[in-house]
Amino acid sequence: MLNFNFLQSNSMKNNNLKYITVILGIFSLAACRNLDIPPKNIVQDADVFSTTAGIQAYMARLYSELPIEDFRYTPERGLNFFWLISPMSAVSGDALSRDQTHAQQENFGNWSWSVWSGCYGVIRDCNYFIETLPKYAKNFTTATVNDWIGEAYFVRGMTYFALAKRFGGVPIVTTVLNYPGETIDQLKIPRASEKATWDQIKSDLDSATLLLPVVNPDDNDGTRANKYVAAAFESRAMLYAGSIAKYNSITLFDAKNNEICGIPSTDANAYFLAAYNAAKMLDGKYSLYMKAWAANNPDAQYQNFVDLFSDPGGPENIFVREYQYPNSVHGYDAYNVPRQLAGPNGYSAEVNPTLNFVDMFDGIPKNPDGTIKTLDANGHYILYKNTMDLFANAEPRLRATVILPGDVFKGQQIQIWRGIYTGPVAGGISPLLPPGSKEQYPTANLVESATANQTPYTLPDGSLMNPAGASGIFTGDQTCAISGFSVRKWLDPNLPTSQVLENHESQTWIEMRYAEVLLNRAEAAFELYLAGQTGADYLDDAFNDINQIRLRAGAVLLTSPGSMTVDTIRIERRKELAFENKTWWDLRRWRILDKEQNGTIYKVLMPFYAAKAGEYFFDARYDERNDVYTFDPRWYYEQIPQSVISKNSNVIQNPGY
Amino acid sequence: MKKQSLYYIFLCIIILADISCTKIDNYPGPSSTLQGKVFDALTDSTVQTEYGGGGTRVKLLETSYSSNPTPEYFQCMQNGAFHDDKIFAATYNVSVEGAFVPVIQTDDTGKVLIDSSKNIVLKNTATVNFWVQPFLRIEWVGQPVFNPDSTVTVKIRITRGTDNPAYQGNVTDINLYVSNTANDGNNNYDPRYSNLHSYGGTSGNSLLGQVITITTTGGALPPQDIYFRVGARIASGLKRYNYNAVESIQYP
Repeated sequence: MLNFNFLQSNSMKNNNLKYITVILGIFSLAACRNLDIPPKNIVQDADVFSTTAGIQAYMARLYSELPIEDFRYTPERGLNFFWLISPMSAVSGDALSRDQTHAQQENFGNWSWSVWSGCYGVIRDCNYFIETLPKYAKNFTTATVNDWIGEAYFVRGMTYFALAKRFGGVPIVTTVLNYPGETIDQLKIPRASEKATWDQIKSDLDSATLLLPVVNPDDNDGTRANKYVAAAFESRAMLYAGSIAKYNSITLFDAKNNEICGIPSTDANAYFLAAYNAAKMLDGKYSLYMKAWAANNPDAQYQNFVDLFSDPGGPENIFVREYQYPNSVHGYDAYNVPRQLAGPNGYSAEVNPTLNFVDMFDGIPKNPDGTIKTLDANGHYILYKNTMDLFANAEPRLRATVILPGDVFKGQQIQIWRGIYTGPVAGGISPLLPPGSKEQYPTANLVESATANQTPYTLPDGSLMNPAGASGIFTGDQTCAISGFSVRKWLDPNLPTSQVLENHESQTWIEMRYAEVLLNRAEAAFELYLAGQTGADYLDDAFNDINQIRLRAGAVLLTSPGSMTVDTIRIERRKELAFENKTWWDLRRWRILDKEQNGTIYKVLMPFYAAKAGEYFFDARYDERNDVYTFDPRWYYEQIPQSVISKNSNVIQNPGY
Repeated sequence: MKKQSLYYIFLCIIILADISCTKIDNYPGPSSTLQGKVFDALTDSTVQTEYGGGGTRVKLLETSYSSNPTPEYFQCMQNGAFHDDKIFAATYNVSVEGAFVPVIQTDDTGKVLIDSSKNIVLKNTATVNFWVQPFLRIEWVGQPVFNPDSTVTVKIRITRGTDNPAYQGNVTDINLYVSNTANDGNNNYDPRYSNLHSYGGTSGNSLLGQVITITTTGGALPPQDIYFRVGARIASGLKRYNYNAVESIQYP
């Protein structure tokens, strides 16, 4: 506007010139002020790194983004996401879920937290911390600075571990990268070899072990790392690396012959030894939870295994993630309680352990091939007064892990049966279907219920009975125990049903407990023994580790070291760590998941009530849905997101994608 | 008045300037065709495969503009032929990947031993055929037979397709796939009737060269169109399946 006035009024030209001179003068005075100051509205390094509170805020972010598969993880929807349907145990085959019908890889396209850029964000935060804190070291004691730097190494090592177990070799970044300080070409860092990536993890966790104190001075409740936390995870990571070196057969080389997928098998023993040594560091520092345990007392051993997951002061907890309503919450119970205890959100029974899983445990009648025995010598069903009678002598750990049909939870008997058999019972009941059949049950002589709204059936004695148990199994509605079992582990027995809500629960997630360290040690030791290594009595070590676990679990003890095979250790691990989001990764690193899920239909155990006998029988069969699980071997190395390759053309895609 | 017309002039200039920013992407779409077949080097018949990500695929490296291009892929048809008519005319390195001795062989340190990939200048249409050695060669021995109990029995013979010991892993699976569509294979079959068999260690190798008889499982087949096919694989990197051709049988 002003300009147009100038053009219009020539008569005022002189006056205007005066004004312009004055205004320009004022501007040039103002220009002498130094405007190059840190912006006042952005938190500066000095604000964060000079005070304990600032460091704590930084740590809170690092730990909250630590990529661990906790109560807020599924392969389908990723890390730190509340919706727990399609649970991991239903992908690994330990359970069936109505929302999971097939094997799968992690579905990164559906994740709200991008696995690649998310992890590299955490790594950058660690690198920034490690580079910046020393500049402000004078504000703190040397021990404190070392502790915090150690924690940053711990988080960085864990984050590389999260990348390596998914992708193999990844670009290694250990300094803060700057743009535009560095050119785009300099920032296009190629993938390192898989071996170099695992060595980076080892180096970070070694640094953490070296720098961290025995007790974390800021938080000693297991939510933050100490020396032994770092060592425990090193045992997990090195066991992973050793397994890849020994069992992997998929390789990928870049143009410079770096092996970005696969590790030379000659490196296996060094990794197993590192896992063994790291696990041994925890000897005497942590112990198995035995507070309520009593010898020869299955009930006490059951209660002890239940308590283990809810005692915040348990000596077994090494590293945990805490939740707090309403700031950080999950909904484990809401999704997983048995059908008859469903909370107000209406979810229930998302995790239903398979019979294949239950068959692994001791104390149940078995056929010679190790499967559960449901038929007598004449090929007729064995009858039981109550459904729990079949499991009368079951290993206490099984009861603490799985809700068996008819067991008690929250003061209620959990009713699980598939239907009422109304046919003749004289002379024994023959199997409803031929062995191995994948057909539906014949409807003759069978009363069933499609949903939880049941029409009671009149039994021969005139009393009424629902065709299916209150927790299933319903033929038209999968919100029930579709496998004949419901999950028990992690469920809070004291949570009132009205509080069984999504985004409302706060049980602590135990990411690392001493039992896993013992299992890591046993497996590493046994692999070293198999490879003929003689640094220690590895076989005896593995034997003692496994028997400690079995004793606590109430399982049958191993009689001699010589009776062990690699499967002894693997099955023990699967039983102990089931439903803790570990098994799938184990099956992957052993490279047996493609054999286990090879056109596989998982098995279920269906209890029936024989009306004329007044007793129950069990039918072991394939999943009635005929859902087929086939793990594609290329999934051992996950697909690198296309967006990553678009940004960095030096990143080579994994084989087969 | 003068002021107002100046505004109009400015406005017009701005609008014209904005319009001139619009560009029409008039680069023609991809319209060249790459086609060909993957043949068994010994028998000259095509190497059967499955639909989708588990089957044979064609790998293209567009070397016109970069020595280190990001690879592009497209899948083969079930019968081992491939055809893509939406490819940009350019210079390509073409190879195929699947259940056969790799076109580009490397040793266990990544060193390239043999490279049989093909460099082509694609303009309009190019036909590129590959002769490969399948891991396993699966042949029908006679036609599938409909049994009195409405099951079906097939006979096949499996032999190794290569003399190269590096690609003679143990036979791990021999599966009869049953499907109600011709898109039959490990990724699409009816689990009720298909008969899957896994073999541990070297136990599967003894079946090589023999006539293998497999019968459908799960009782009588339903009265509808049914397609049969046998897939087998060896322990090798990605454990892809070799197949025989799909056969159908009339329900009597």
